[in-house]
Amino acid sequence: MGLVNDLRHYREFLKSNVKKDIRGKYKGSFLGVLWSFINPLLSVLVYAIVFPYIMRIKVENYLIYLITGIIPWTFFTSSINMGLISVLSNADIIKKVYFPRIILPISTVTSCLVNFLISCLIIVLFCLGSGLGISCQILWLPLIAIIQYIMLLGFTFILSAIEMYMRDIEHIVNFILSMAFYVTPILYTPDIFPEKLAWVLKVNPMAYLVNAYRSIFFYQKMPDLIGLGVVSIFSIFLFMIGYLIFEKLQKGFAEEV
Amino acid sequence: MKVMKRGNAIEVKNMTKVFNVYFDKANTLKEKLLFWKRGNKEVRTVLKDINVEIKKGETVALIGTNGSGKSTLLKLMTKIIYPTKGTVQTKGKLTSLLELGAGFHPDFSGRENIYFNASIFGLSKKEIDKRLDDIIAFSELEEFIDNPVRTYSSGMYMRLAFSVAINVDADILLIDEILAVGDQHFQDKCFKKLESLRDSNKTIVIVTHSLESVKKLCNRAIWIKDGIVKEDGNTKDVIEKYLKECQ
Repeated sequence: MGLVNDLRHYREFLKSNVKKDIRGKYKGSFLGVLWSFINPLLSVLVYAIVFPYIMRIKVENYLIYLITGIIPWTFFTSSINMGLISVLSNADIIKKVYFPRIILPISTVTSCLVNFLISCLIIVLFCLGSGLGISCQILWLPLIAIIQYIMLLGFTFILSAIEMYMRDIEHIVNFILSMAFYVTPILYTPDIFPEKLAWVLKVNPMAYLVNAYRSIFFYQKMPDLIGLGVVSIFSIFLFMIGYLIFEKLQKGFAEEV
Repeated sequence: MKVMKRGNAIEVKNMTKVFNVYFDKANTLKEKLLFWKRGNKEVRTVLKDINVEIKKGETVALIGTNGSGKSTLLKLMTKIIYPTKGTVQTKGKLTSLLELGAGFHPDFSGRENIYFNASIFGLSKKEIDKRLDDIIAFSELEEFIDNPVRTYSSGMYMRLAFSVAINVDADILLIDEILAVGDQHFQDKCFKKLESLRDSNKTIVIVTHSLESVKKLCNRAIWIKDGIVKEDGNTKDVIEKYLKECQ
């Protein structure tokens, strides 16, 4: 397959791109890379202060409950937001050199994955600090993260390619992401979701993933394997469709910028 | 994809390239929906039914006036853009020197940029390690190699970029009008390097207006006029005809 070959040849490019992404993102700011961990923590703080007052949420250890939801969600949104512009923001090199364009969205999502895995340390620290502890269920983490990674690659292949032809997609995606935040059980527990709309959680792949992360960190139970199985089939399917769309559209990239 | 003829490095077959030239490009959905009928677009055929075969080890110059389509042909060979009709096929590792210093990051040091730039050309870390000393030596920037690239003069910048590209060890080298890099000393050095690449059986395609160096370097020239191949053959003959028409 062409993709495997490209990745093998251009692995050094992929690697230096990931490094540049992680190092370059907060260049010039005092705390540097630390911001990618402080940011989700700050939004956790906002919800942790506000929500117990305006909603009747009765979850013990609500702070940990939030963290185990928001950090995977940040992985999702930052990959989509940055992946979306990953090709467009490299317009200057696209016009000048040939390299497999697909390396660009892959390296963006990969740098988000690296960020996420480091953020998982924060989850662990909070679990330990709150007295909740951790269990061997945490061993499921790599599997869940890889499923999410494949799904995100699929999404960003499609979105970054469309972005080259239609800049509107940014605004549409922003809207969808902010909707999706509320139909994913991040702030609330799935059981308080209105029954009439219960199907929304069933068709939302992020709901399965957030529940899975929460199972292993917060409830320290085995994740719902059937749900994960469904999401991984969806992810692989999305990945392949995304790859085909990207390869089809990438031929015109250099003329569109 | 058809199989290429043996011994060919580049094959261009019945290839046509059309550009849509927008006067006011619709980049958003709204504009696309509202103005889809508006004829603010001009279809320009840049290359018409081109057929070119370049054998392995040949050194070929593309000549022609500005806007004749020679740079576009080079871009098509690099696969930065794709043909509208027909095919362009290449065989072997290919490096293009279209614009030097693609992807240089001003805040990174010269050394880091060598790694980054060479990785765009598809080299692995090990391969770059092996070439690093050659690249630095060729650029003659030993003193400055650990300084950020933004502190370089434009000549130093070009020297570094050229050194990376020329040391990639590609089978096919595509060069667009960059023989004028740096000072006289460095230009001579580049020229010598190109000659030695030519003699080591690499395939080189050059777009240039400096006909004198073409005569010295290339054994074949292709004259492109208004998007078609006007003449193709021995360098001296083609240049003679080209000059006659220019006068």
